[in-house]
Amino acid sequence: MTIPATGGFWPLGGPVSRAEIALIIIDMQVDFCAPGGWIDQLGEDVSNTRSVIAPIRHVLEAARAAEITVIHTREGHRPDLSDLHANKQWRTRVHGLGIGDKGKTGRILVRGEPGWQIIPELSPVEGELVIDKPGKSSFHRTELADELKKRGISRLVVTGVTSDCCVQSTMRDGFEYGIECVLLEDCTAAVETPNHKATIEILGAFGGRWGGVSDRAAFKAMLEMLDG
Amino acid sequence: MAERGMKNFGAIAANPYSWPFDGVWSASDTALLLLGFQSGNIAALSAGPELEAAMELLEEAKKAGLTVVVARRGADPSESAVAARRRLLGDHVPARHSAEWALSDRLELLGDAILVDHGGDNAFFRTGLEDELRQRGVRNLLVTGLPTEGIVHATQRAANDMGFECLAVADACKGTSPLRHSAQLRITTFGNGLFGAVATAADVLAALTTFQE
Repeated sequence: MTIPATGGFWPLGGPVSRAEIALIIIDMQVDFCAPGGWIDQLGEDVSNTRSVIAPIRHVLEAARAAEITVIHTREGHRPDLSDLHANKQWRTRVHGLGIGDKGKTGRILVRGEPGWQIIPELSPVEGELVIDKPGKSSFHRTELADELKKRGISRLVVTGVTSDCCVQSTMRDGFEYGIECVLLEDCTAAVETPNHKATIEILGAFGGRWGGVSDRAAFKAMLEMLDG
Repeated sequence: MAERGMKNFGAIAANPYSWPFDGVWSASDTALLLLGFQSGNIAALSAGPELEAAMELLEEAKKAGLTVVVARRGADPSESAVAARRRLLGDHVPARHSAEWALSDRLELLGDAILVDHGGDNAFFRTGLEDELRQRGVRNLLVTGLPTEGIVHATQRAANDMGFECLAVADACKGTSPLRHSAQLRITTFGNGLFGAVATAADVLAALTTFQE
């Protein structure tokens, strides 16, 4: 889906050089989307979050081939949980297994634990930026904004999980920082489909208040048109 | 129950949990946020009833001595990327000091209310609001404003990442469509309150006028 008002992948238009563009893959971690990870241990359905692994793999390969910057994020907390807010821990503990608790994949969402790792299908390679985030937004108390500025990146292609939570927070914050974000609709998912659909509708309204909504075919077509 | 120097209000019957999560809220640690109650927004969204609900909360909050925060969005020449994007996509941001930018004249504030000017949707972004609230010992936020899926939710998301315990007051907020309003609040409450809880103004008023020892 493209934005008719501007007719292209980027709502703000182009031209854009490849040095200005980054692909960000949000929180594709074992705890969120692998069998045996935290969400799976809670008895919730990970088929939605797993369904985007192959599409993201596809855009990751395209981004690597086009030599644009690739950014991965991991939600997690320090082993002493000093960066975990009491209400965030409480809300997750209601499910029976909360952040910091010992599960089958180590301590839930704690840095360095097996469940906190990015799933092997989408492992970062050398030279890719990995951002550790304690909150929902990839910008909250991370070096992301500084890294983008330092590298001259003004356009962010957004993928990962979950659309209603960390993806939406990252899009909204990207907008605040003046970063042009485009979400790939077929490379993001939520645990509950109605929340995913509502997120896409809200983000796409008014021509994309906080950024555009597109898909991986349009992303690849945009990459092929880059010359700089 | 922790003592915080003032009497604690009763818990609020909220969705998906009784708010706040730890049962502790008082005038000294709670702020009422009034976001985007500006003339242009109120008219465009026909948000008279929502403004009315927020004003009732403000009245009781002032009596009880809660911190009050008022935020208004206006085009900020220093945030050119944001402003340019807004203009291009037709998502109108009022010029500062214009009639549509002005706060509702119903909003009668006490002198010590915190007034925040912001250019985007998030009232915390580069405004110093977080520090201001922390200095006052605020940890709980009652959130009202316009529109639900814009200024309100962007601000609540940011507050939640900062660790503030947030409650969106459903009927003191209005979205750009009923569907967006209800969907955004549903997302707020997902996962046992990923971004906090949701209640009605009546639920909040009932709790504000009761005390627990």
